[in-house]
Amino acid sequence: MPENTLPKLLKRNAEKYGSRKIAMRVKSRGIWQSFTWQDYYENVKYFSLALLALGMRKGDKVSIIGENKPEIFWAELAVQSIGGTVVGIYTDCTPPEVKFFVADSDSTFVIAHDQEQVDKLLQIKEGLPLVKKVIYWDPKGLWNYDDPILTSFTEMVDLGKRYEKDHPGLFEECIEKGEGEEIALICYTSGTTGMPKGAMISHKGLVAIAQAWRDVDHWSPNDLYVSFIPPGWIAEQAVGVAGQLVSGMEVNFPEEPETVQENIREIGPTILFFAPRLWENINRMIQAKITDTSAFRRWIYHLLLPVGYKTAQHRSSQKRLGLIFKILYQVAHWILFRPLKDRMGLSQIRCAYTAGSAVSPDILNYFQAIGVNIKQVYGGSEQGLVTIHLDGQIKYETCGPPMPGVEVRLSPEGEIMVKGENIFSGYYKNPEATREKIREGWYYTGDFGYIDEDHHLVVIDRMEDLKELKGGRKFSPQFAEIRLRFCPSIKDALVVGGEDKDYVTAIINIDLDNVGRWAEANRIPYTTFTDLSQKPEVIELIKKDIQQINKFLPEWSRIKKFVNLHKEFDADESELTRTRKLRRTFVENRYIDLIAALYGNDREYNVEASVTYRDGRRGVIRTSIHINPVEETH
Amino acid sequence: MSPNPPLDKERTITDKLKVKDIHLNFGGVSALAGVSFDVKAREILAIIGPNGAGKTSILNCINGFYRPQKGELIFEDQNIYHLPPHRIARLGIGRTFQNIELFIGLSVLDNLMAARHIHLKRGTLAGALYFGPARNEEIRHREVVEDIIDLLEMEPYRKKVVGLLPYGVRKRVELGRALALEPKLLLLDEPMAGMNLEEKEDMARFIIDIHELKKIPIVLVEHDMEVVMDIAERLVVLDFGKKIAEGAPEEIRQNPLVIRAYLGEETSESEAHA
Repeated sequence: MPENTLPKLLKRNAEKYGSRKIAMRVKSRGIWQSFTWQDYYENVKYFSLALLALGMRKGDKVSIIGENKPEIFWAELAVQSIGGTVVGIYTDCTPPEVKFFVADSDSTFVIAHDQEQVDKLLQIKEGLPLVKKVIYWDPKGLWNYDDPILTSFTEMVDLGKRYEKDHPGLFEECIEKGEGEEIALICYTSGTTGMPKGAMISHKGLVAIAQAWRDVDHWSPNDLYVSFIPPGWIAEQAVGVAGQLVSGMEVNFPEEPETVQENIREIGPTILFFAPRLWENINRMIQAKITDTSAFRRWIYHLLLPVGYKTAQHRSSQKRLGLIFKILYQVAHWILFRPLKDRMGLSQIRCAYTAGSAVSPDILNYFQAIGVNIKQVYGGSEQGLVTIHLDGQIKYETCGPPMPGVEVRLSPEGEIMVKGENIFSGYYKNPEATREKIREGWYYTGDFGYIDEDHHLVVIDRMEDLKELKGGRKFSPQFAEIRLRFCPSIKDALVVGGEDKDYVTAIINIDLDNVGRWAEANRIPYTTFTDLSQKPEVIELIKKDIQQINKFLPEWSRIKKFVNLHKEFDADESELTRTRKLRRTFVENRYIDLIAALYGNDREYNVEASVTYRDGRRGVIRTSIHINPVEETH
Repeated sequence: MSPNPPLDKERTITDKLKVKDIHLNFGGVSALAGVSFDVKAREILAIIGPNGAGKTSILNCINGFYRPQKGELIFEDQNIYHLPPHRIARLGIGRTFQNIELFIGLSVLDNLMAARHIHLKRGTLAGALYFGPARNEEIRHREVVEDIIDLLEMEPYRKKVVGLLPYGVRKRVELGRALALEPKLLLLDEPMAGMNLEEKEDMARFIIDIHELKKIPIVLVEHDMEVVMDIAERLVVLDFGKKIAEGAPEEIRQNPLVIRAYLGEETSESEAHA
């Protein structure tokens, strides 16, 4: 019998490895605690039986909201074992957001991590009549909660054990009955456009993605993976959950989100998946540390880094390297790259991935140069895994060639279309949207891109995010933004243009850490973020960065004017999505006057922003920010 | 954070600590002039008052740093009035200090482990050789300490040297160290002084968590009225070494004596705390 569902794979692994092999590790009480495949299987089993005991039925939806911990995997497999569907919710969602996901998916149970998440649910439970139980696993702070809707993970496992006595063999029977076509999970699209929609992903699809991925990158039971990207994201589902089940690799869970860096160093993972932001952060951290270090070390770094770049260039195009460079690279490896990677916990990496929003080619190039085999992946909740960089054929500006078994085509407008087993089964309760996006077996991704001469896919932007300038010339704001974000002094950027506009402008978020340090080194006194951002020296610094990037842009899409925004873009103010992507339309509307000023003749703009302080008071910030022209350089 | 922890039905009403008519003079200056109050089992009691009211002095009297000239201190039916601080600690009174008193050269873990010394039973030699019972004992203590680290969310700092940690975190470490004693009564001297709003909220949550989990009474000296009113079940107000009021937060808020002591008629510095 082929293992076409996740629970069947789990059963197979438990039979194959039993208590002889570690399936997962979690750091708790300062020690890495291990769980074997047998432990994994048993936790799933009893939790699953408890859900049955509480009245869960085949086809029921269960929302899970929590950070990466073994319990989340156990809960997911438990739900799927009895034919249920998992809905992943991000931990930093606000109560109304959680309510929307739970209600829209018709969830009958909610599995919540800790007090923080339980509090959210208790706040909104009145509006969720379908929810029978809220199950938590971290009891801290919940000792005195006596709401009958709550129950703990341990209580569930006990209940499951009792239930098994009366119903022996029921769990195994449920697993056997599972079909590949059943919906394993619903991933809500992150909602950069409109209301989030629930993309349904079948067991068959998820297993197909994971198997193809395993074969391409040779995942094996010896691989170590650190689970850090949100469990509700399709990427973690494909690598952490399904990837582990098809390959048998070990999944490690960090102690707390704050200790990830440390934990990664302790584990020395061979496989890692980070959102582009995190890779950017690591790169930024290295740059900041190098700026702070002694002049001699800095000199070594700048001397040896080009060797890495040169080697990476040869390696990624499978060209042979000359003897001298081979020796030089070995020197650089031992003196610089190895200690550097070790510091970051990246010294054992075989495959590092990134996906989500587009990542700057410079970032990929940088990590390849220091010897971290970073690959870009293109995919999503709806399209599954579409393309991936292959070892030895890495082109930084592309997302690699299509996966085996996946067809990729372009519509006449340049929209990327995908066909194959890995595309999703449709939107939950929204056949209209499904019909609109899947036509004749092709999923219309809404991404604009092209296929290059090596059959690599290049994704430029969302179709609807392409902008037109007066006169009909198209440009991609994101393209410039990613490159701006790579500058150490720029944290975020919004590039603006439009059919009614003659030229392109930018709203810049300076990076407080790096610019602050730079100001300190240059003896520029400042008080607040706002003050620092408007210092003439800082404006000059940012201007130089923009001029540099302008060189790589076509003439018409160069940035002509910019402002340094007086505050940082903030997810709590809905300016960023929870995965930290910029909410373009929202931000453009919010700063509509500021943008108008960018196309006027004024050199200054007065901001009046109403803010809500942490203690609930409201106030107004008044300040004037400078509008700065960018001169052409030659 | 639940704003007001629900009261347990089976809560006993017996007093954990009785403070009776404490007089403390430094030379000619009278720091405390006849202060009396009780700490009930499993309550959060806050001692508030303007600068120099004698709040810290009363804590110092309770845990034996100061020898009051007159008065009585009864902890669990035992008079602790004349006992030295280390004996009082052994009896189960743990405390934190206004100006953090940690071993700044040691890691967070070592600071907490050091506080376990009163529970250590094995000798120095056995400990140094680290075998058999001594090893088991150390593991058991480490478990207790890890629970505290988890409770106070100090995982990221476990192995960091205290001297390099930010102020707010050090305050947390100090609280952790007081907890490591497994006290029956916890005295906190201005746990939120000098913190920003977020840190204060965290600290308030920790205090409530400790209170709920360990079911021990907590005596809290604090300047910040807002926080105190939120978490304390009862307040004692001191002014110039005398108790001027005692009661629930709502009563205290309306007490004219308290308002006068805080807003004052002549002093300008007390205004800042009101």
